[in-house]
Amino acid sequence: MILVNYLAAAALLCTGLYVLLTRRNLIKIVMGLSLMEASTYLLMVSLAYRAGSTAPVLLSPPAGKTAGQLAHGNVADPVLQNFCLTAIVIGVAVTAVFLSVAVRIAQHYRTLDADKVRAMRG
Amino acid sequence: MTAKTTIADGRAPAGAVNREATEREPRHRPWLGALLAAGLAVALGAAMAGIPREHAPLPRIARYALDVALPKWGLTEPVNEVVYGTRGFDTFGETFLLLAAVVSVILITRSREPRRGYFGESTAGAREQAETDPAAGTDAAEREARAAERREQAGGPAALETPDATPLGSPAPETAETMTVVVRTAIRIALPILAVAGLYLVAWGYSPGGGFPGGAVLLGVLLLAYACYGRRKISRVVRPALLETIELAGAAAIIMTELLGLVLKGSFSANWLPLAAEQTPLSGGIAQLFSGSELIEVGTGLAIAVFALLGMGHDWARDDGQDGDGSRP
Repeated sequence: MILVNYLAAAALLCTGLYVLLTRRNLIKIVMGLSLMEASTYLLMVSLAYRAGSTAPVLLSPPAGKTAGQLAHGNVADPVLQNFCLTAIVIGVAVTAVFLSVAVRIAQHYRTLDADKVRAMRG
Repeated sequence: MTAKTTIADGRAPAGAVNREATEREPRHRPWLGALLAAGLAVALGAAMAGIPREHAPLPRIARYALDVALPKWGLTEPVNEVVYGTRGFDTFGETFLLLAAVVSVILITRSREPRRGYFGESTAGAREQAETDPAAGTDAAEREARAAERREQAGGPAALETPDATPLGSPAPETAETMTVVVRTAIRIALPILAVAGLYLVAWGYSPGGGFPGGAVLLGVLLLAYACYGRRKISRVVRPALLETIELAGAAAIIMTELLGLVLKGSFSANWLPLAAEQTPLSGGIAQLFSGSELIEVGTGLAIAVFALLGMGHDWARDDGQDGDGSRP
């Protein structure tokens, strides 16, 4: 029933998009973006899952098995786990950029309401 | 009308606080947002029905990574092999995405005047600078500002203010830099364990992703030290010049590691180091070198971003009476 995870990731992404489209507080917009980021982490980790699989670790195989057999056995997908963990670090750094822009806007315009930041209107 | 008079009388009706909070929440076209989000949900739901589930065979690239991890790289951690070996070029790109984000944070948070540290110099003299007449003599506020400045210049642990000196039951001093003895003791015990565990897992290649989680652990160590001992204690380590130098040294090490593969083996990010026995610090060839450089890069990069954000207070634009409607040129 990994489909539930996929749908939860889709729901998270849509929640983030809804926040992004309707809220006008810059901090909440950044929170919406973080929600959308988190949905991709959930989707990638769920995609890596296989029923009854072990973690992709070749350390100390069980008795009577070699590491090579372990590698050909039922393991979770290491490539998607790689994507997920690099995405987390990049996500943190990008969120820091968003937040520093939000602080600068607050300091310059004295408001966090994106509707009131007139200079950004076309 | 009646509601307005009640508020004007000072007798707020029941639930007024909540209603006011929701009324002030700025929103923009909720129906349109809901429509678009629902549309995306339908499209994603349809797409999700078709993607591989838990019984699908592993993709070829995943099987390949599992196959070569031990024989070709000597790594027992296939995730590490993917990060620094099979998809090393991808990680290389992400490293510089991270660097670009850190440079953006530095540029955006940069203060108007050059500063040596992230904290402090703006707060000590702020009140004094606002003084109109320097010959007007000293009042209590100025004496306090001068004392704060002297304390900051002196530095050192002797100047550290802690809430421990005040008698039990009284509120903690507001200017205290450190947390209470309970927190400090707990963090003093946890900090070395966290730091050693993080570095050990990276050095032996046991942590999936190597330097990425390791760098996050380093940031955690710095933030814990900052939270419990205050900024003065960490200001010798956490200063822009030092962190930025280390960060770029890490980036240069990553470029060298990957480029030497091109020079020595004819392929970018090829392994040019001899493989040691597995489960030792040198087992992965350049994977471990890449991982260690990534640890430096990620740890200092995240630290720069976080401390630049923490230190960007007190740089407000001058309030020229136009109030907060945002209609600034």
